[in-house]
Amino acid sequence: MPMQEKAQAQSILSMNSIEVLYDNVMQAIKGVSIQVPKGKMVALLGSNGAGKSTTLKAISGLLKAERGHISRGEIKFDGIDITEMLAQKRVEMGICHVIEGRRVFEHLTPDENLTAAAPMGMSRSELNVEKDKIYDYFPRLAERRNSQAGYLSGGEQQMLAIGRALVTQPSLLMLDEPSLGLAPFLVAEIFGILQKINREEGLSVLLVEQNALAALEIVSEGYLIENGRVVMHGTAEALKSNSDIQEFYLGGGESTNFHNVKHYSRRKRWLS
Amino acid sequence: MDWVFLSELAINGALTGLLYSLFAIGLVLIYKASSVPNLAQGGLTMVGAYVVLALARDVGMPLWLAIPLAAVIMFGLGFGIERVALRRLAGRPVIMILMLTLGLDIFLRGTTLAIWGGTSRSIELGVSYEPLFLSDLFISRIHLVGAGVALALFVAFMLFFRTRTGIKLRAIADDYMASWSVGISVERGVGLSWALASVVAVAAGVIWGEIQGVDQALSLLLLKGLTVAVLGGLDSILGAIVAGIILGVIENVGAEFIDPLVGGGSRELIVAAVLILTVMIRPHGLFGRHDIERV
Amino acid sequence: MFYRISGVYHASLVSDSRMFKVPADRNLAVFLLLIGLAAPFILPSLYLNSYMLPWLIWTAAALGLNLVTGWAGQLHLGYAAVMAVGAYSAIHAVRFGVPWEIALIIGGLAASVIGSLFAFAALRVKGLYLALTTLAMQFVMDWVLTHSPTISGGSHASLQAPTLALLGQQITSDVGYYYVAFGWCALVTIFMLNLKRTGLGRALVAVREKDFAAAILGVNSFYYKILAFATSSFIAGVSGALLVATFYFLAAPEQFSVNVSIQVLAMVIVGGLGSIIGSYFGVALILLVPGLVNGLVVTASEELGMQVNVETLAHIPNAVYGALIVIILMIEPLGLGKLYGNIRDYLMVWPFDQLRK
Repeated sequence: MPMQEKAQAQSILSMNSIEVLYDNVMQAIKGVSIQVPKGKMVALLGSNGAGKSTTLKAISGLLKAERGHISRGEIKFDGIDITEMLAQKRVEMGICHVIEGRRVFEHLTPDENLTAAAPMGMSRSELNVEKDKIYDYFPRLAERRNSQAGYLSGGEQQMLAIGRALVTQPSLLMLDEPSLGLAPFLVAEIFGILQKINREEGLSVLLVEQNALAALEIVSEGYLIENGRVVMHGTAEALKSNSDIQEFYLGGGESTNFHNVKHYSRRKRWLS
Repeated sequence: MDWVFLSELAINGALTGLLYSLFAIGLVLIYKASSVPNLAQGGLTMVGAYVVLALARDVGMPLWLAIPLAAVIMFGLGFGIERVALRRLAGRPVIMILMLTLGLDIFLRGTTLAIWGGTSRSIELGVSYEPLFLSDLFISRIHLVGAGVALALFVAFMLFFRTRTGIKLRAIADDYMASWSVGISVERGVGLSWALASVVAVAAGVIWGEIQGVDQALSLLLLKGLTVAVLGGLDSILGAIVAGIILGVIENVGAEFIDPLVGGGSRELIVAAVLILTVMIRPHGLFGRHDIERV
Repeated sequence: MFYRISGVYHASLVSDSRMFKVPADRNLAVFLLLIGLAAPFILPSLYLNSYMLPWLIWTAAALGLNLVTGWAGQLHLGYAAVMAVGAYSAIHAVRFGVPWEIALIIGGLAASVIGSLFAFAALRVKGLYLALTTLAMQFVMDWVLTHSPTISGGSHASLQAPTLALLGQQITSDVGYYYVAFGWCALVTIFMLNLKRTGLGRALVAVREKDFAAAILGVNSFYYKILAFATSSFIAGVSGALLVATFYFLAAPEQFSVNVSIQVLAMVIVGGLGSIIGSYFGVALILLVPGLVNGLVVTASEELGMQVNVETLAHIPNAVYGALIVIILMIEPLGLGKLYGNIRDYLMVWPFDQLRK
């Protein structure tokens, strides 16, 4: 189908009918297809256990660390098939995954955290230029650049994690629940900075979030994942005004009785 | 109270202790990067010493060539051991990894002795056996050299951990997943730590070999080296140095006073007691990290 | 194919908690028991004494270590020290005039008391640190033994064990010793097999997995850890005493040194933590293979006319022993017991390949 191919050609990331198994027995993803257009921000929404983190790990290659593997489907990055590629190679190619829970290098300083992520072959001066750029985006980090990263506050650690990913000079930045455990004003601040980076550098972003409200404010389109499948896809506006989404994720709707809560049946099959 | 004698005991003890530190640094390097307690460090030390000996005697190389070459060989050996044996057991319970390193230790010792025999030989480093006299104090020259090597290695590693590779190693020690996610090759980092530990083993082997001859007893350092590593903190190189000095002093001074009471041989007892006390009172040692599962 | 579990079902809790749920298992165990009893009449006495006897006693000892390390999850690098306590206590008791049966029990109890001291370390730390503590305690025990002439006769002396006598009867024949060892090993094995079905066994597993979670469920981990150490130490003590009484005939500190502790631990881990049949395999492998390889090397060198250095020969068993540990752990970290289980599972459905690895 020419429309699909055209869409894929403009995508920096194209994930087709991926199925993921953990420990050879647990199917976490049962057929997910996602496109991330170049230079755009895309959200991946869904509740706990839907398979959002697994999707990111499939793209970044971190599944192996948790005894998971892709059992079907393919992932293309900038037209190149990366389904079997080593995680390290994918980072070199320009995909960077900011994992869930911040996970900064606690006993290193923020400055050392950034150094640790430097790609092979990046000279000292290039690294300093990158670091300065990151300190520009995250002034709070600049202030704390020489204390131990483990003692930073939650928000600062999240900024550090994002900054660390930026050092690898990615063309696709993937974030796993950056708003987790953060106060709303911090979430707004960080999301604002993400938007800024996307605008100024043209960095494509894939954002996994449970905080659908905040996410839909900054992305251009979103996917809704439930039980390992994509159940909805649309522009941010369309999702925001969708009554079901409003009811499940945005707190709208009149249904207060648990028994009345609807569950999705699959309405759309995307690229079977 | 014979202060001169006491100081002599303390200083010589400290110097000997720094030699234990040499051994402990190897242990710390690996534990820092991979949380693996390498009980094969003793075997590696022995192999290191014997390789130097073989190169110097059987191949006829001069020492200044043999030692660096042995270091290169051991670097490769360390890398190889990690790749072949340790990587398979990544993520398994610590007792299996412990047993693997113990088995490796036994294998290394057995093979080395089988190939080169157990008779004691000396390395002949060229350090004179004449003791140094500092005012009234009697100090062993070779111990001084050994302590110097230990301190030099310490400084070298402190500098190394500020370089980019060193920072990456420290990052790996902190968090594997996060390291993978930013493109750091954890596998290579862990391999590197083993390789470095093996090089340290050469240094330790050569110095100890000079002091007591290269033979089977070389691998009995394990208890003392382990105690130093634990006392200092299993993931702290600074700790290894400081703890070495402390243990050396306690052991030497203590043995002098306790030996007559118990009829000799109290050194091992003192070391064992220090180990037990450290683990019971402060398991993470003087400079180690706090995240140890306590009951 | 040789072994079927289909058609085997249990309709009551009582029958389901039997020691052998599958009749084939029970039959196999009975069969092995009978073979064990008949061994002196089948095997030449060289094999009986040099191989079967030590194998059985060391298996009993290994099972004891398996109890505390495999079941209760407490790393123990000082097992040989506990065995030493049992051995020396029993021998001194007999020399004092106590009959052997009581002396063995005294040995076991003494070992139990000392062994429980190790438990106090286990109450404070776990994992690597517990291993190091027990290792240090082993060194202390080594030191005590070599420096107390009263206990051990000094570091270069050895203590002669009086002739073994049970139930008033002196035992001096090879066959007699064999049956004593066999009896003890069978007793320990039955105890361990039974452990699975008892509250003690379940509590130990709970303590092993997550002791603070177990505490919430009312499993007092303090109490059970001490109990685990005490029980396994009792087994160690009696095994140590029997080892001296039937195999070594002399007690010397080197027999229970650090190396021996490591050896027993290797037997347990190579056999498989928590696996009873694995312990049998592990002991056999570690005890017998190095010697066999040495024999092979000697014969091979004679065949080929090569001179093998005496020194080399002395160290080959060690090299093989170390290599065995490394290789088995690399192939199957869960030990020989698991390997055996894999083979058995495979044969269960052969020739159908229903088991996808």
